[in-house]
Parts: sequence; C-alpha cells; structure tokens
Amino acid sequence: MKKDASQNYPATIPYKKGDPILSLQHVDITFGSGRKTFKAVSDASFDIYEGETVSLVGESGSGKTTIGRAIVRINPCSAGAIYYKGEKISGKLSHAKSKEVVRKIQMIFQDPAASLNERATIEYSISEGLYNFHLYKDKEDRIAKVEKIIEEVGLLPEHLTRYPHEFSGGQRQRVGIARSMVMEPEFIVADEPISALDVSIRAQVLNLMKKFQKEKNLTYLFIAHDLSIVRYISSRIVVIHLGKIVEIAQTEELFSHPLHPYTKSLMSAIPIPDPRLEKKKNLFVYDASAHVYTPEDNPHMEDIGNGHFVYGSDKELASYKHKRNGGK
Amino acid sequence: MEQFERIPLDLEKIKTQEEDDLFYFVDQSNVSSERITAPRYSYWRSVFRIFFSKKLNIIFLSILVLVVAMAFIFPAIFPYDKFAHNTEGIANLSPAELINRFGFSFEWILGTGQFGDSIFYGIWASARISLSLSLICALINMSIGILIGAVWGYNKAVDSVLNVVYNIIANVPYILMISVLVYVIGSGFGSFVFALTITGWLGIAYFMRTQVLIIRDREYNLASKTLGTPMARIVTKNVLPYLTSVIVTLLASEIPHYISMEVFLTYIGVGLSAEVPSLGHMISDAQTSWMSYPWAFWSPVAISAIITVILYVVGQNLADASDPRSHMK
Repeated sequence: MKKDASQNYPATIPYKKGDPILSLQHVDITFGSGRKTFKAVSDASFDIYEGETVSLVGESGSGKTTIGRAIVRINPCSAGAIYYKGEKISGKLSHAKSKEVVRKIQMIFQDPAASLNERATIEYSISEGLYNFHLYKDKEDRIAKVEKIIEEVGLLPEHLTRYPHEFSGGQRQRVGIARSMVMEPEFIVADEPISALDVSIRAQVLNLMKKFQKEKNLTYLFIAHDLSIVRYISSRIVVIHLGKIVEIAQTEELFSHPLHPYTKSLMSAIPIPDPRLEKKKNLFVYDASAHVYTPEDNPHMEDIGNGHFVYGSDKELASYKHKRNGGK
Repeated sequence: MEQFERIPLDLEKIKTQEEDDLFYFVDQSNVSSERITAPRYSYWRSVFRIFFSKKLNIIFLSILVLVVAMAFIFPAIFPYDKFAHNTEGIANLSPAELINRFGFSFEWILGTGQFGDSIFYGIWASARISLSLSLICALINMSIGILIGAVWGYNKAVDSVLNVVYNIIANVPYILMISVLVYVIGSGFGSFVFALTITGWLGIAYFMRTQVLIIRDREYNLASKTLGTPMARIVTKNVLPYLTSVIVTLLASEIPHYISMEVFLTYIGVGLSAEVPSLGHMISDAQTSWMSYPWAFWSPVAISAIITVILYVVGQNLADASDPRSHMK
C-alpha cells in the first residue's frame, strides 16, 4: 500500500475569517514510480484568500495544471499537504469529507470539446453534479435549477435537449461553467478556461467568470499562460517554472517590479499590439545557469516586502530587495 | 489590348441620396445569436436513418426476418420428427422421386435424409435450435463480458487478478475445454449453452477492458470525477454509450460465431446430442454420401451459410451506422 504522504501534517490547522481559504504547504507531485519517477511539482507553497483570483502562470509543462488537479484531488500529492478552510484535503479522506470537498471545489476545464460527454444531453451534463449530491427536491426543482443556470451563462433552455457537438466552442465552455456553478461551489480551479477558445469570445467567458465571482463571492485559481489576460483578471500572480514556484506578488506589483529573471523573461515575451514596437522589442532570455546555488546558500522563498515573494539564494534575495527599493 | 472604359462615379447623385436609404441599423439580439437552427439530433434515430438508407440492408434484413420467422414458426406448425418415416422405405430420395410418388408437398421439396426424414422440415427445426442457441449464448456472454470488462478496465486491483485468470484460461485450447465439458455434463441444449458460456465471456471482457482503458482517462471522465460522479454511473453514462458501436460490432460477429460453433462442434461429434435436431447433425449425417444425395447435404449447409452471412453483414452495417461519425453526412 502507498503511504499517505501528508500524514506528517495535522488534519486541521486553525482557521478563522481572513485566513487563507486554500493553503498549499510544501507540495510535491510525482508521476511514475521507482526509477521512472518524474517530479512535476516540487515544494510548492502558496495561499489563496477568500474572494480573490490567483493566477498560476508558467510555460507549458511547468506543472500548472498538475497543481490545479491536485487541488481537485485528481493528482495525489507525494509530499506536503493542501488545506481548505483549515482542513486537510490531500491524502486519504473519509467518504463524506471527500464528497464535501468535491462539491465545494469545482474545476473548469481547458478544452470544452474534450471535457463534455458527447453522448449525453446538455441537461444531463449540467444535472450530473446535482444527481451526485442530490441537490434538488424533485424533478421540477432540478429542471428549474438547470434552466436558471443555463440562462445565467447566456444560453437558452431549449439547448438542454441538445448534444455538445451542436454547440460552438464558446457555448460549450459556458456549459462547462454552468455545470460547475450549478453545484454552488466556493472555490473554482479554472484550468486555462479560455486558451482553447476563439479570441473573439474570450472576453465573454472571462466576463461571465467575473460576474459569477461578484455574485457568489467565489475564489478562483486561474491557470493560464497568457499574461495579458492574467493582468486583467487576477488579484495576485504565482509564477511557476519547471515545477518550482519562483515568484508570488500582487498583479500590479509583479508587472511593475518583476524581480526573478524568469518572470522578467515572461514579461518581455508579452506581445505588443503594435507591429513597429513589437519588432523593436528586446526579448529577455532566461538563463537558469546564471543562478549559483551552493549547499551553504540554499535557495528559498522569501517575502521581500509588499507581499512580494521571490525564490532565490540569500545573495540573490538581497539584490532583489535592493532592486525593489529603487536601487540599480 | 482593349482598354475598358472607366465609368465615372456620379458623386453628385450619391451625395443627394439620404444615408438612411442605403443602410439601416439592425438590432443585435443575443438570444437569436445563441439559437441552434440545426434539426434535433437523436442518436438512435440517426443510426436507423443511416442503416435504412442502404437498399442492400433492407433486402438483407427482410431475408433475415423471413428466415428467423420460418425457423421459429414453421416447426411449431409442422413438427419435425427425424424417425417418423423410418420404416416406410423412403430414405435418401430426391425431391423429384418423392413428388412423383406422393404428389407435391412442402415436406418433400428438398428430398429425404437417411431415415426418410424431410430435409425441408429438418432445416427449419435445426435452424431454430441453432438460432436460439446462438442468441442465448451471445446474450449471456455479451452481458457478462461487457459488465466485467467495464469493471476490469476501471479497477486496477480487479485488473491484476483477471489478467492472470485470462492468461490461464485463454491458453487452454477452447475446443478441448468444450469437448471435456460436454463429456462431463452431457450434451443436451442446456449443457451445451453452459459449455459455451462458462468461459466464453472472458474474451469479450478482455476486449471490453482494452476499449475501456482507451477512453477511461479522457478529460470528460475526469470532469465527471471532479463532479463527484460515482464509478458505476461513469461506466453506464460516460463509457458504455461511447462503446455502443464497438458493442454492436462485437455482437455482429458473436451471433454468427456461435452458429458456426454449434455446426462445427456437432459435426465433429462433441456438440449437441443426437436427439436434438441441429444443422451440425444434418451435415454430418449427410456428408458421407454427399455426392450421391446432394440435397441432404447442401440444404443444411446453405441455410447455415445464409444465416451466418446475413447476420454478419446486417450486424456490420448496423455497427457502421451506430458510429456517430457516420451521422454527419
């Protein structure tokens, strides 16, 4: 039997209003076993407060989705623990607790074409969560709930008897949003919800997500690689590179003072919608070999002020701090 | 080269025209932009639309219905008794001789066998046995196979156990196992069904396991998992509906397979017992004298071939029609 990786962590930690709603503590996620073990995420720690939108950015394969899936309990953690409202939600859970977590933490998937059951009507797809938790009194109540949510996402009740292949990408994604929203969750992991969509309808889906956040006081973990969208939607940003979190800061703080060289390179890659400026732009290339990490000077995450966390050795952190405070 | 003359724009005329006459605003309606105008889609209706759009299918299906109706109704009206005319000295007579002697009757149109029995009555009674046998075996094996295969593909613990079971049983020659079973438990209809179904579902289950493995980790199944859907409902609502066309394809080859199996096993002498009318018996009885009495040999061969071929073709075409990729044409 596999050992429960999070057993060294207490089942509950003190939680009161104002504390982070979701807290990742030294989370490692590995795939495979034995010699083929691959560590997708190592020592990831960050907090998410109620009502905020935290974006997780990084390049493909950096472990963004892996972290998101660990929160919704699809991927197990091999070390560390995840707490939701002070209760541990990683590792083994009782059946009732696990169901409760599933209902409260929902996920919006990246590819709306792949994440809907092609052989079920929209009505079944949206009702699925309601069936699982019996969140309705009788059939009429369920239909009423489904019709209400489908109108809220801007679709029509007549769509309920249709099948996913009859919808456009944006409509499908809104069905995906409706199916998680109908369960009245508190926390949503949005795994690149707009990357697979046409540019013309991205704003529509983002605005819909913002509308739900305002109405239902939702907390989002927004996984993305498009920084211009991240700037629009998020309150804080977590930058991840090859499974390691390198920088965490408020959105504008990060955009005005990117400190870690990897964040800088990400920022410099944001396209400028002006071809003349875009051509003249200097790309900053991240060179991981520039870091000199020795056993005496172990890199770690540190708050350098203004809620700005950076990953680095003591020497690097000192220079980041200096730069942040206006030094050259 | 000829130059085209440019027609000068009458700017004055355009200026005098009111802008309102040329263009007008259209209200943007969010509701109408969401509306789907395509006709309503129904899976099974589309399956039958595609299936019946081929004339060949209609012809083959009619023949199949005719044969099945004959096999189940005819023996009930005209019961077949192999030894009824045993002492009348009419064994191995050709249709012409019989009609000359007794006058025209359906009983004699395919001649008689070595016991003076009517071949025409015989093939229908035998077809009834063969068809019921194959339908019962297919039904049992498919239901057990699909259910176990779905769990097998889903559950890692079940997977490791069943893989061992499968490897052991799949390596025992099938014919040998059935012969031994028939020797041990007798060779009536019931025991033959038992012999064919005791391990027959294993191959189907293994095939289903592979199919389930292919679609098990697709994103829509992960989505169902994050919605808290229990495994049983993921299997029945997410996995099996995707496998409908695979299951129909399987069924299309399974039913004819059991008919040939019955014919073959009875023919080599390990199948049904002698008192049960069967196509296999009729063929093996007539095979030694098939040159001299061809009607007694070719009639059961033909009927078994017609049943298996038609079942196979109809089944395959139904399987093609049940593939949703064919519905969009």
